[in-house]
Amino acid sequence: MKKTIALVLAAMMLISLVSFSLADETKTLTIVAWDANTTGYLTAQKEAYEASHPGVKIEYIDVSSQDYDTKVAAMLAGQDKSDIYMVKDIPALLNWYEAGYTYDMSDYIKAANYDLSGFVGMETNYAFDGKQVALPFRSDFEILFYNKDLFDAAGVAYPTNDWSWEQYKEAALAIHAADENVYGTHYHTWLSTAVNYTVADGVNTLVDGNYDDLAYFYQLIQDLEDAGACMSYSEIRAAGLHYSGAFGNGNIAMMPMGYWYVATLITNIASGDYNVKNWGLAAMPTKEGVQAGATFGNLTGAMINNLSEQKDLAWDYIAWLCGEEGSKVTAGTGNRPAWVSEGVADVMSAIEGFPADETSKASLLPTYVAIEIPGMEFTAQISNILGEEHSAIMSREISIEEGIENMNERVAEVLGE
Amino acid sequence: MTAKPVPAGQRRKKYSMSRLERKNTLIAYSFLAPNFIGFAIFTLVPVILSVVMSFTEWKGGALSSMQWVGLDNYASIFKSVKVGQKMGELGFFGGLDYFFNKVDLGISLKNTVFYTAVTVPLSLVAAIVLALVLNKAVKGAVAFRAVLFFPYVASMVAICVCWNFMLMKNGPINQMLMSLGSTFNKSWTADGTMAFWAIVLVSVWRNMGYYMVIYLAALQGIPRELYEAATVDGANKWQQFWAITLPQLRPTTFFASIMLIIGCFKIYDTVYIMTEGGPGRATKMLVLYIYQEAFNNYHYGLASAIAMVLLVVVLLVTILQFRMEKRYANN
Amino acid sequence: MTQVRRFPIGKILIYLVLIALSAFTLIPFVWMISASLKLDREVFSFPMRWIPETFHWENYSLIWTKVPMLTYFKNTAIIAICVTLIQTLTSSFAAYAFAKLRFKGRDVLFLCYISTIAVPWQAYMLPQFILMRSMGLYDRLLAIMVLQAFSAFGVFLMRQFYQNIPDELCEAARIDGLSEYGIWARIMLPLSTAAIATLVIFTFVGTWNDFMGPMIYLTRDENKTIQVGLRRFIQENSSDYHLIMAASVVSLVPVSVVFLALQRYFIEGIATSGLKG
Repeated sequence: MKKTIALVLAAMMLISLVSFSLADETKTLTIVAWDANTTGYLTAQKEAYEASHPGVKIEYIDVSSQDYDTKVAAMLAGQDKSDIYMVKDIPALLNWYEAGYTYDMSDYIKAANYDLSGFVGMETNYAFDGKQVALPFRSDFEILFYNKDLFDAAGVAYPTNDWSWEQYKEAALAIHAADENVYGTHYHTWLSTAVNYTVADGVNTLVDGNYDDLAYFYQLIQDLEDAGACMSYSEIRAAGLHYSGAFGNGNIAMMPMGYWYVATLITNIASGDYNVKNWGLAAMPTKEGVQAGATFGNLTGAMINNLSEQKDLAWDYIAWLCGEEGSKVTAGTGNRPAWVSEGVADVMSAIEGFPADETSKASLLPTYVAIEIPGMEFTAQISNILGEEHSAIMSREISIEEGIENMNERVAEVLGE
Repeated sequence: MTAKPVPAGQRRKKYSMSRLERKNTLIAYSFLAPNFIGFAIFTLVPVILSVVMSFTEWKGGALSSMQWVGLDNYASIFKSVKVGQKMGELGFFGGLDYFFNKVDLGISLKNTVFYTAVTVPLSLVAAIVLALVLNKAVKGAVAFRAVLFFPYVASMVAICVCWNFMLMKNGPINQMLMSLGSTFNKSWTADGTMAFWAIVLVSVWRNMGYYMVIYLAALQGIPRELYEAATVDGANKWQQFWAITLPQLRPTTFFASIMLIIGCFKIYDTVYIMTEGGPGRATKMLVLYIYQEAFNNYHYGLASAIAMVLLVVVLLVTILQFRMEKRYANN
Repeated sequence: MTQVRRFPIGKILIYLVLIALSAFTLIPFVWMISASLKLDREVFSFPMRWIPETFHWENYSLIWTKVPMLTYFKNTAIIAICVTLIQTLTSSFAAYAFAKLRFKGRDVLFLCYISTIAVPWQAYMLPQFILMRSMGLYDRLLAIMVLQAFSAFGVFLMRQFYQNIPDELCEAARIDGLSEYGIWARIMLPLSTAAIATLVIFTFVGTWNDFMGPMIYLTRDENKTIQVGLRRFIQENSSDYHLIMAASVVSLVPVSVVFLALQRYFIEGIATSGLKG
């Protein structure tokens, strides 16, 4: 049959089109990470480890950051054998743990007598049922970025590390009043940049089922929006405006953002892509009764895949990555490692392009960092609910009170299940 | 779709023999095999697995770790206990009201059905009108057709970002509407009502060119003698449209509406990129809900159960359409 | 048609409506092109500018150097071409059986095809992925080919077209001693060039723009497609929307060429067989 021959030929062609990778002689450690091709610290870590560990090659599997959750869910369910998976957020890690994808590192930690003190307790967020299923290598806390030139132009004093939210609000309003083309501050569309500050007191959490404490922060943002001192949520959301470009445009005086933005900012200022020249860092403002310098943060870490065939090697890498040596490498790229010591802090403030003032340097060591959202059984669902109500409140579809009432009611239903 | 040449069909019925049928069956299977084997392995089996999955609890990992939970997932997505309780308190309609305004499944089902009910007729009418206009000897028809088909060719990600910008506060669309006397000036996707219409607008914009092409084709297939006879009888263009064009287009409309309904029920990209289901849950659609349960919460069983609800609704509508089509055809 | 000539006002009106509609259709594309010539921070600046301050034509060269766009194009093209070939061939084959042959289980099988269209992919993606992975089809272009090539849509579409070809033609051919394969090759295929053109366009465009499938199945950079590759311009801490727009504009070119090349068959061809019951 001509048809069959054609079909067979077509099939053979297809197969020949597919490329195969040949196995290497050296040991190759496969790590699944997001934005692996474009993230400076990943490249730096890989190079540093390969230099000090001959015979080991690190290969990243690059997944776009937006698709990370979906893609990784499929990969892990499909019995992927990559050795290490980078951990983007705690709810996802909990899901992986429950599905049996993670490997308990506790024995490794015990055997190596691994020093956990540098994590100042943050690593417990990666422990479930007493099993340490991942270790953090980056710890980003929320910090206030500000554009010094805009403060100078408006004649407003720079933020200090003990600001109250009222002082922050006044400054934002004053700067906008001085020049109406300048925004006093900028909130990205996330729930975290808007109201997560409530957890800085160490008492409130986002999973406790009571969200009355968020009202203060929603009111603050809406007042600023109404005064025109910050862009409205609706427009940022509709335009898909990315915060990096927004601050980089040079007409925003302040922006609360994760520490990771330091690296982006330095790179883009150096390349001339941003309209920002002089900038600084300050600790997030706090509410009355909360210690100055308290903030919230999140972890980025690494876990060993339960199906990895080289768990010893994987542990060796994670131990290096999350410890002092790896932390210095991470810090050298403008990121804040999870494991912090004096030596690491020195590296952080010494990188080129980092603001030279004392306030900025001091803000690197917050007095207290609460976890953005802790991992528990219903964290993922609660995040969904909060996110939905957040968008309704922020686009002014419902009042703050209604939104918070919905949050309380819906989360109670989830918790009650 | 009914076979046009009735005599041939009748003749074949008389000739039909079991031996011939057996041979025919074998030949038919040989025709089907190349496609069916691929289809069965890569689509049918996974779909059947997902039906099974809707009765299990599974967080991922090995397939053997699935646990049979019977109808639990369905009870959970319908919030049957809570809805039943509300029905007890507030009466039947009170319970329904709760279901469609508070329960995720109810809200996304309501949104999806409403979206489908609006988008399908709008797309069909737009497609028919465009096809009628471009069927005439209009100069540049080829160019117009190409332009109108363009939205279908473009990739969704870029297009949705563009549309979000078009529909912003002080954006071109709002400015146009305001010059016509509208007082609305808010970003569409940030407004509970307009976000829904933004999704409808983008969908119709994308669908109309696609179905216009199919209608164009169908229009050329209508025998010209029908119109000539009608003109002799003194019917005007409008009467001809109702008496000839529309009935002749019915099979196409049937095909187009089924594909459109299924497509609308499965809407995901547009919503995900433009509104993420927001603000609040104003544009939360079934597939977005499925996605959240599967990939945010790792509740694969629940996600499959929602998909089954979607499948049942779509199949019911499709069967209803088949019935109606048959009745029309018989008349 | 002569009617129109008698009422020039009507004709002008039709043109006005068509031009307005085309403008409405093209506005987002104009914005897309405009954005592709800006700097990233200008893309979303407000109030919006239709004409960029300075034209950054370098965006169009940047997309080729910043990411391996050429590889993405090559992969997308290989997948789209193979899928289109397999899909068209096997669908038209299977559709012939559904439309012109009577056999046991025909309706049940056809119902199977139709109902899978109605199940959202997100629901059966995971079992499918596990299955494919166990068959060694992960991170290979072949995975996307087999996923896309046997879709129910093609069979449904071709079946609808074949039903319009009169049964008498097949009957006559059978009496003349032609086998069923002969009928398919010598009668159905030549009569359905339009249907095939339709399917080719729909399949090619669909595969070209597919995102979720390649995102899940293709992992290494050398295997990615354009739609997945575009995501590299949106990172966690920065975005390059100007480059996304530039790449999207470029990626429109091949699909537009395919459409324009085939649209003649498309319209004419359908006219000869007529998509009606």
